[in-house]
Amino acid sequence: MNETGHVSHRDDLAAYLLGALEAGEVEALERHLAGCEECRTELEWLRPAVGVLPESVERVEPAPRLRQNLMEQVRAEADSASSSSTRERRWSLSGWSLRPLAGLAAVALVVAAVAAYAIGTNDSGGGGETTTVSSGRAPGVTAELVSEGESGTLHLAHLHQLPPDEVLQAWVERDGKVESAKTLFVPNQDGTASATIDDMNGVTTVMVTAEPRGGSAQPTSAPIASVSMKQ
Amino acid sequence: MSKVERLADEELMPLIGAKDPDAFEVFYDRHGGVAYSLAYRIVGERGAAEDVTQEAFISIWRSGARYDAARGSVRTWMLGIVRNRAIDALRSKASGAPKLNFDDDSILEHKPAPERTESEALRRETAAEVRGALDELPGEQSKVIELAYFGGFSHSEIAGMLGVPLGTVKGRMRLGLEKIRGELAEGLT
Repeated sequence: MNETGHVSHRDDLAAYLLGALEAGEVEALERHLAGCEECRTELEWLRPAVGVLPESVERVEPAPRLRQNLMEQVRAEADSASSSSTRERRWSLSGWSLRPLAGLAAVALVVAAVAAYAIGTNDSGGGGETTTVSSGRAPGVTAELVSEGESGTLHLAHLHQLPPDEVLQAWVERDGKVESAKTLFVPNQDGTASATIDDMNGVTTVMVTAEPRGGSAQPTSAPIASVSMKQ
Repeated sequence: MSKVERLADEELMPLIGAKDPDAFEVFYDRHGGVAYSLAYRIVGERGAAEDVTQEAFISIWRSGARYDAARGSVRTWMLGIVRNRAIDALRSKASGAPKLNFDDDSILEHKPAPERTESEALRRETAAEVRGALDELPGEQSKVIELAYFGGFSHSEIAGMLGVPLGTVKGRMRLGLEKIRGELAEGLT
């Protein structure tokens, strides 16, 4: 990085902290920050100035119903999570304890079980179709990836229903980087779900996470299912 | 005062992550006011501010276990979530565009750990003192900071609005933040 580039990035630090850079500029600055201690130091020095901005806001009291609504929802979800934990304990196998993931309710129960159990690749014969199956040792989610040509279809079963504001999102790992497969879906009533992965070129792993409705730019939770592709 | 009420924010978060509604209630009572005030400052309507605050706190309830104490104070993390969601609501309302679906965890990812003493000291700053620091800024500097932070405008949008070069906007942002930083407690340096 030459001095001009350094100065340019340094001048972006305040805008970066204020959330005023465009997406491309954010990426460029973060790349620069990774290798520039001087800018990182200045960034951290400036950061508290932005941190106090919310404190400058004139206080306005929210209506009591906000607290009431929040606590009603929170207590209902706490009860639901408690019920899920009971079911989970019933499913625990010797040496394989499934732990609940915060915020994902019942669907998260099977995360750990599936993630590590890519069984392998089986030629199903005909048309170059390949099936890769993942299955947990505990009774839980199973994941099957049927690939044909450059695309693939992920079939999940034994899913629990999601909270209304969450969806399932498919991700692919390619060259060590995880990227969205641009596929959002929800479980069917019978706990099955399917998702199409348009581009399987170079994909080493297909994963599914629960995300806020509308999807996320990056995974925000641990995978519910993960299928490793045998290369 | 109950046992939970005596806990620090950082001690409440694991309990919230374990779905303890009493811990969440204490957390809301502690920070709900400033969160709602920030949301109201940004969206400008009580109903919308309530929606933003509720969404933000439910997000925290559902992802509380992801809070990483090594990366900053709970309050800063929480206010970052509220600010992002409020800006998202503001933009959606203005454009009719779908929400941006901010990744709340990215707030942590993009904010490496400030020193713990720093965040604790910041919390001792009163709102009046911070407002005072803002008030002392030249109007041109406070304006670009407010348009960016509370209005959600990019620097190029602000340059267009004010009819000044992009470099000028960046410079005003930087000078403004440097002055606010300089006004903060000396112990923070």
